[in-house]
Amino acid sequence: MIRVLNFFCVALMGLSILGLYHVSERTRVAEMQLAKVDRQITDTKSGIGVLQTEWARVAGPARIQELAQRGGMSDTSSVELSSFNLLPHRADAPLNNSSVRNANAEAPMVQPTLTPQPISVRTGF
Amino acid sequence: MGEKPGIFQRRIVIGAVFCVAAFTLVGIRLVDVTLMRGHGGKGLADHTVIARADLVDRNGELLARDLPVQDLYARPHVFWDKDQAAHDLAKATGGDEKRLRESFDNTKHPYVLIARQITPDTGDKVMHLGLPGLEFEPSAKRYYPGGRIAAQLVGVTDPDNNGLSGLELGFEDRLRTESDAPEPVVTSIDSRVQYILSHEVEDQRETFSARAAGGVVMDVRTGEIIAMVSLPDFDPNGRDLKGSDSTRNIMAQDVYELGSVFKIFTFTQAMEDHTVNLDEIFTIGQGYKIGKFTIHEAEHMPATLSARDILAQSSNIGTAQIALRDGGVKQRKFLEHMGLLTPVRTELPEHARPLYPANWGTIETATIAFGQGISVSPLRFVASAASVVNGGREISPTFIKTDADRRGAQLIPAQTSETMRGLLRYVVTNGTGKNANVEGYDVGGKTGSAQVPGPGGRYIPHALRTSFFAAFPVEDPRYILFVLLDQPHGIKATGGFALAGQTAAPLAGRVIARIAPLLGVPNQAPPAILADGNS
Repeated sequence: MIRVLNFFCVALMGLSILGLYHVSERTRVAEMQLAKVDRQITDTKSGIGVLQTEWARVAGPARIQELAQRGGMSDTSSVELSSFNLLPHRADAPLNNSSVRNANAEAPMVQPTLTPQPISVRTGF
Repeated sequence: MGEKPGIFQRRIVIGAVFCVAAFTLVGIRLVDVTLMRGHGGKGLADHTVIARADLVDRNGELLARDLPVQDLYARPHVFWDKDQAAHDLAKATGGDEKRLRESFDNTKHPYVLIARQITPDTGDKVMHLGLPGLEFEPSAKRYYPGGRIAAQLVGVTDPDNNGLSGLELGFEDRLRTESDAPEPVVTSIDSRVQYILSHEVEDQRETFSARAAGGVVMDVRTGEIIAMVSLPDFDPNGRDLKGSDSTRNIMAQDVYELGSVFKIFTFTQAMEDHTVNLDEIFTIGQGYKIGKFTIHEAEHMPATLSARDILAQSSNIGTAQIALRDGGVKQRKFLEHMGLLTPVRTELPEHARPLYPANWGTIETATIAFGQGISVSPLRFVASAASVVNGGREISPTFIKTDADRRGAQLIPAQTSETMRGLLRYVVTNGTGKNANVEGYDVGGKTGSAQVPGPGGRYIPHALRTSFFAAFPVEDPRYILFVLLDQPHGIKATGGFALAGQTAAPLAGRVIARIAPLLGVPNQAPPAILADGNS
C-alpha cells in the first residue's frame, strides 16, 4: 500500500514538474512576445513623436507665412475681422404679438461684381 | 516509549528542520524565478528615449521636444584595420578622422565615443559599414520646431539634456521627471503672437539698422507673458553661434535707461498726489537749469504746454518740473512702491537688478522723471507699467498658463489708473504716439527715446534707444505691448530721424493690428471702415 502511495506521489510530482515547466515556458514565450510588442509600441510612439515635431515645424507660422507670400497672399488686415457687437440689430419696431414676418432685420447687402478679382480678394485674405 | 530523545537525536531533528527550511527557500526561489519573473528582455522594451517632458505653448503647440537619437561607441581592439575604420566612421558620422584614429590607437580606453546624438539616418550609414565592435546607446536630442522665433525665451539644454537657459532651465524640475510618460509643461506663450512679434521686430530692426531689438506682450490681469522676443537671436537646434548671433535675452537680463516711457510713472505719481492739474500750463522755454545742469528737449517744443500735452509731446522740461513738485524722497518711495527698484522674479532664470543713483538729489529727480539716470530691465518696466493700466493693482509676470485673475494688492487708486489710461490714449491720438494708432482698437501708449550711455559713462552723440509702451483696448486693457529698438538709424522715409515716434510706435501699431484679432480683442471700427478694409 505504501509503495503504491509512494509511486502515486512520485508520479504526481513528476507530472507537476512537467506542468510547471510547460507553464513556465509558455510564460517565457508570452513575455518575449509582450516585450516585442512593447518595443513596437515604443518605436511607434517615438515615430509619432518625430512626426508631430516635423508637423509642428512645417505647420509653424513662419513657414505658413513664407508659403502664403510665395503664393501671392499678404497679411490679413485686422479690420477685416469684426466682433458680434457690429452685427446688425433686429429692427426696433415692436412686434405687437403679430407674426414673425413683421420682423425686418436685414444684413447689409454688397452688390456682386462681375469684374474678375484675384483669389486673395475672393477668399478674404 | 516515553524516553526523552537523546542529545544526538535532538541535533538530528534540528539539522533536518534546517535542511527542510533551506530546500523550501530554494523551492520558493525557483518558483519565483521561473514563474514570477520574466526573462524575455522586458527591461530593454521599458527603456524609453524620452528623458525630458515636452514644452508646449498655451494652445498645445510644441515648443521643445526630445527626439530619439543614439550615441555611438566602439571597441577598437576588435577592428581589423583601425585606420580604415576611423576613416569610414568619420565619413559616416561627420566626425574628426584624426581624433578617431588617435583614440583607436590609445589602448588605455577599451571603449571610444565615436559620435553623440546621431540620427537614425546616420545610424543606418554606420550599420552599412559592417564594422564589428560598434555599440549604439539610446539617447535623446532636444529639438525646437520654432527655431529662432523663441530662442532666448525657451532656452536650450546641454548635450546631457540638462536645462541651460530660458524656460528649459526655469522649468527644469517639471521637465525632468522620472515618469515614463511625463505630462507636457504648458507655458503662457502663444506661438502665433510670438511669431508675429518676432517677425515685425526683426523687420523694423532691419529697416532702421538697429543693433538690437525686442518686444514683450503681457496679459495685465493674469500676468501671463504671451510673447517675448530678443534680437539678435540664435538657432537653438545648432550648437554653434554664427556671426552676430546672441544668446542674451535683452528683455530680461539687460537693464536700460528707457527714457520717456518712464514719464508714465512721473505722471501716475503726480495724479496720485494731486500735485498737478492736467489743464495747468507750464513754461517750457529753451532749457531748464538745475544748478550747473541744463535739461533740454529731444525735439522742438512750444513755449508753453499744458500738463496733458507735456506727456503727449513728451517734454522733458515739463516732466522735470512736475516731478520736482513732489521731490526726490517721494519719487524714490513711489518707484520703490511700484517695484521698479527691485528685480522682477519669474520662472525665467534670467533677470537683472535695476541701477539707480545712490545719491538721489534734485538733478537725479529731474532726470529720472523722464527716464534717464535709472536703468531697469524691459521686463521689470512692463511688470510695473501693467499696474498703472490694470486698475492700479500689483501683478507679477508669469510664464505658466493660467486663467485666474492674479492681480494682487492695490498699488495706486483705480481712479488714477483710469486717468492714466485716458492720458495714454491722448498720447496716441494727439501726441508722439500717433503712428501706433490702429483703427478700431483704441490703443493707448507712450513713446520713449533715450540717450545711450557709452563706455566712459558719457552719452553717445546721436545714439538713441527707442521704445513704445502700449495698452489695448485702452478703456479696459487686457494686453500690453512693449517694443524696444537699440540705436536705430534714421532713414529717408523718416527724414533721417529715428525717434520713438518714427521707429517704435509704428512697430507697435503693426504688431497690435496683427495680434489683437488673434487674442480676441473686439474691433470697434465702424462698419464703413470695415467694408473699406475688405475692399
